[in-house]
Amino acid sequence: MRTIDDFTRPLEYISPMDGLLGSIFRDWVEKEVMPYRRQFDEDYRDHRLIHPPFKKLLGEYGLQRMIFPEDLGGWGMGRSNYMCTAAFRMFEEIARADTGMALAFGALFWPFLFIALEPHENRRLLEEFAPMFCETTEPVFAALCMTEPQGGSDIENIEIVKGSTIRTTAVLDGDEWVINGHKLWPSNTGGLARLMAVVCTTNPGSDDPRDIAVIYVTSDTPGVTQGPPYEKAGMAADMNSDVWFENVRVPSWYRACGPGDDAKYFGEIMSTGNMGIIAWISGAMMNIYERLTEFVNRKKYRGLPLKENDAVAGVLADFAANIEAIRIVGYQCARMCDRHDLYGPLWDPGLVAKMRAQRYLAMDRFIEVTGRVMNLMECFGTDRDWDVEKHWRDLKILQLVEGSKQLCQIETARWFYECRTL
Amino acid sequence: MNDLELFPYPKNRLQKTDLDLAASLQDLVQKEIVDKRLELKEDYRGLLEPNLNKLLVEVGLQRMFWPEKLGGEEHNGPEAAYTVAAALEQVGRADTGLAYLAAHNLALQASLAMRENLNQEACGRFAPLFCDGRGPVIVSFVLPVFGEDEKAPAWRGKSFQVRARAASGSWVLNGKGVRPTCSGADAHLFGAWCAVEGEEQPAFILVPGDAPGLSRGPEFKKTGLAASRNADLDLSGVEVPAENCLFRGDLEYRRLLSWFYLGVSAAAVGGLLAAYQILKEWGDNRVIKGTGNVFKENPLTGALMGEIAQDISMSRLLAYDLAGMLADPTTFGDAGSDMVYTAALMIVHHVLATAERALHRTMELMASAGYAKEWQLERYWRDLKTVQCYVGSHELAKHDFARWFYGARTL
Repeated sequence: MRTIDDFTRPLEYISPMDGLLGSIFRDWVEKEVMPYRRQFDEDYRDHRLIHPPFKKLLGEYGLQRMIFPEDLGGWGMGRSNYMCTAAFRMFEEIARADTGMALAFGALFWPFLFIALEPHENRRLLEEFAPMFCETTEPVFAALCMTEPQGGSDIENIEIVKGSTIRTTAVLDGDEWVINGHKLWPSNTGGLARLMAVVCTTNPGSDDPRDIAVIYVTSDTPGVTQGPPYEKAGMAADMNSDVWFENVRVPSWYRACGPGDDAKYFGEIMSTGNMGIIAWISGAMMNIYERLTEFVNRKKYRGLPLKENDAVAGVLADFAANIEAIRIVGYQCARMCDRHDLYGPLWDPGLVAKMRAQRYLAMDRFIEVTGRVMNLMECFGTDRDWDVEKHWRDLKILQLVEGSKQLCQIETARWFYECRTL
Repeated sequence: MNDLELFPYPKNRLQKTDLDLAASLQDLVQKEIVDKRLELKEDYRGLLEPNLNKLLVEVGLQRMFWPEKLGGEEHNGPEAAYTVAAALEQVGRADTGLAYLAAHNLALQASLAMRENLNQEACGRFAPLFCDGRGPVIVSFVLPVFGEDEKAPAWRGKSFQVRARAASGSWVLNGKGVRPTCSGADAHLFGAWCAVEGEEQPAFILVPGDAPGLSRGPEFKKTGLAASRNADLDLSGVEVPAENCLFRGDLEYRRLLSWFYLGVSAAAVGGLLAAYQILKEWGDNRVIKGTGNVFKENPLTGALMGEIAQDISMSRLLAYDLAGMLADPTTFGDAGSDMVYTAALMIVHHVLATAERALHRTMELMASAGYAKEWQLERYWRDLKTVQCYVGSHELAKHDFARWFYGARTL
């Protein structure tokens, strides 16, 4: 009998840890997530059901430590040239059960990309924050605070807007930054985040990238307020809220990389974030494949499973073909993110544009073929118990995080056609 | 100009009473649903149930077709198709689920009380339920589905969910794990298209919600349509009077569906108009890229907004085209004829597929506001996809199209 493992993965360059990580995550998903996930939507505010599996994964298994250097109690993934291919497998496995959990898991590491990757590792900040994540068996969440009320995707569009729309300010006062501003939508907020990386401007209205500052703030710092979780169409495990910063004071060395480099390395979030989105699409499609297979085997017409109907088979084939393509492209993207020697650094605008392009293409394909699958399943396609509709809702949200489809199109066109004014 | 008037429809063919009804419904749903939904969200008891009562009972949609002598409005000529379209797009703009429920109610009325095909006996028995003013009558259908757990009699690519047996002066119905088109948890009347034991011809049989032997499963969770509290049914030897069989023929069955598809198409257009209004506000006010330009002035997003408006316009025209076909049987034939039924099926699928695409794109433009419940857009996206799935598989509908256009015989 065919399984999800029969879909192609490019074996020639998957991570050496792939088998081990895959089995750990598969086991965790089956035991800790699958039995409860259909109740996650109603758990968006409290995470009573969502918290226990995170506790096991992040705290007890220690996954929250993985990006930190080994000598600080971490697993050293930040220095591995298999970071992204390994992450792709982990993301796929989690997203197979719940894309919201997969996003929350991935977003936990975004703030650390600025300080944990070569060649811009910030040892002092790693030493400062590693104990928070590495010396506990409780889950600890981090958040990257980008989006603002007035700007939406503007903030993510650093290459063209160059930070000129950022209104969250950071003013150096002696040896402290004083931060004031209002952020929307960061993953892992709503009271979850213990540590935040906040995208600020040191000179409001400036389009000089050197004025973009990424500054770390612990959530217990006076002046930090996380609002209640938003209610969304799905993705309950990815908790988001407003975050306010009122005269928040942190040490001056809490700035991630420094003038110019904070903006430059922001591209790493975009590359890896978009690669991650492809992994989450692939994982969700694996689960839809599983549920769909059960449906077309179980449901019969004139004594034969639905899959034996030629018209149904056409839809099934399209779905499988898209999984094949998206998964192979996704792993290729992950490898491109890992092999800086071949494809350039993670922050390179060309790499960012290519990740954007593959991400929005994969998402478009997902939306089209999953919509057809739901329709094929008729009323059962929208039935919570068949799980397909949950992935459909969750991934629509995922399409719109880290910049909407139109931003992806603009960045793709800007790079491939050398547009100057987009 | 009222912004809904921006989207063309054959206003010249609507009677003044239709336009007045649409205008009063527009005001009513704005005040009672749209203005309250931020606070009440999709609360069934607080928002949806009271408004179902307002629409069906106080406005009187559930009295529309029945004869006056039985307490109805006797608006039961084919031109009522325009009334259905005009009314349900307004209801659908406020809540697609409520319009979807009303579409069931109106389709059943049309199949029983249409002037040219008036079923006197059935009207006499069922009109009082709809016209006594005691509460909304939630009507649900049990139609063949694509794929069954147990071997079931086949019906044009689908499987019957209910088997009926004629007994002395009654029908006895059986079915397990039956999935109705809506409101399994609280419908007052189920119209089931049943396989009849020992006979080729199916039967459309009305089953009261409180019939002995009918049991309802727990309300299940689904993508959208909060107004429809659905649950699976078990029918175990449910016995109803022989007169509850409303018809046996293909023509009548398709007539019912053609009217149902008109209501659903109009409901979907209403959802699209709501999405337009939400996006309009967004496009007027949202400034992008720090340039000071609002969203609608950007060439990329502006073009996409234009495409969405095109989808809404075409859908509205198609829905009214269907109303026009149903309103003029002299020219187009009976609502249950192959041609009109096929057109109705094509239009409802086309409108719902277009709605799906337009809602996807609207959400893309609004990004996080598109999926945040606060902005109200996402409920239309969920509702319309749910309606699409309940209307049935497009793959199978295409076989109906092929039967009509290419004379396919074995699909």
